[in-house]
Amino acid sequence: MNELENSITNVEEMKEVADILLKTGTMLMSAGANTGRVRTTVHRMADAFGYSIDLHISQRSIWLTMLNEHGASIFTIVRVTPSHIINFRTISGISKMSWSLVEERWTINQITDELKRLEQLPRFPRWLVLTLVGLAGAGFCSLADGTPIELAFTFVASFLGLYVRQEALKGGFNPYVSVYFSAFTASLIAGSASKLGLSDSQNHAYVTSVLFLIPGVPLINSFSDILDGNVQNGVTRGFVGFLISFSIALGILTSALIYQF
Amino acid sequence: MSWILIILYKSIWGGLAALGFAALFNVPVRSFFHIFLFGGIGVFIKFTLLHFNFNIALSSLAGAVAIGFLSIPAAHYKHTPPLIFYIPAVIPMIPGILAYRMILGLITLTGNPKSATYGATLSETINYGLKVVFILISLSVGVVIPMLLLRKESVKDIKVPFTRK
Repeated sequence: MNELENSITNVEEMKEVADILLKTGTMLMSAGANTGRVRTTVHRMADAFGYSIDLHISQRSIWLTMLNEHGASIFTIVRVTPSHIINFRTISGISKMSWSLVEERWTINQITDELKRLEQLPRFPRWLVLTLVGLAGAGFCSLADGTPIELAFTFVASFLGLYVRQEALKGGFNPYVSVYFSAFTASLIAGSASKLGLSDSQNHAYVTSVLFLIPGVPLINSFSDILDGNVQNGVTRGFVGFLISFSIALGILTSALIYQF
Repeated sequence: MSWILIILYKSIWGGLAALGFAALFNVPVRSFFHIFLFGGIGVFIKFTLLHFNFNIALSSLAGAVAIGFLSIPAAHYKHTPPLIFYIPAVIPMIPGILAYRMILGLITLTGNPKSATYGATLSETINYGLKVVFILISLSVGVVIPMLLLRKESVKDIKVPFTRK
């Protein structure tokens, strides 16, 4: 009887651990970590708890199987990944947490509290993000040999472009459609520089105003996933990156049609 | 010597571009300065090599590898994973103008194939497209090359000289 009770509490604890592991994994995945990082972190945490696990990680969900000492499965659970919103502060926090678990022997409750804290961390204030992204747009224009006037136009274009994207996402538009709106707005504003005679025939401002939208995280993660052997996720991410680029191209071509560039 | 001043000026803007993406990706505040620095260094290396007539993909690769290597000690020093430094820092090197010209070329190619300029547009578009593809591969592979060479699962296992424990 005692043995049976033991095994029941054991399974209960296992479920609790599995739940935390999956929570960590899905948070990492949606924050923009590459698949290798999710796998390493979750395995590191499972080892620290003294369990062996198997993982299947995809773009939209993570599957976890708890194994007994003979490597046979005890149970499998699935958790859906929340929508992907890049947040490097979460990645950094979870990385630190996983090492605290290994080195300082954190308890399940401590981990739960830390995950909750990380989820509630504020993002940067909106005006700061908009300003820095505007400066980034000006930076891209400068890298393409833009003049100071063109830089100013790109700053405004990127600033308002990102504003439109944020508003579109808030309004519940599809992410790709939001990128299209954003690229269209930005290139429409920056393109006016050439129409006003403030830009030469090269249209630097017009072309570089949409570069703040480039899908850097999906594209770079795509390659690191493929190099790691997570080919399926790598291809998925690569295709997402391609679709975002395509939306940017559509946006910029729409304003080209209006301006007759 | 004026070319180096122009490149330095561009590097500062490159660093600012990296910083914009850092804000977009919500990085920890303590990594801001390093991202600015690495973004600038990547752009500096790329444009310096371009000045000496190196291939554009090769120049981008050199910049990306440098960023990848610098991210490892920075990760130790700031206690944050290296990808938080290298992803925003390589983005300023993404070839936006070339990509735009490629797409414009592709759109033009949907037009009349018997027009006089069709052949020239075709070869230009292929040229731009190949450059874009090779630069993108160079950038994304370049930043992970250091980790591949050092053959460790986590930066914590890499011994970095001159950092505090």
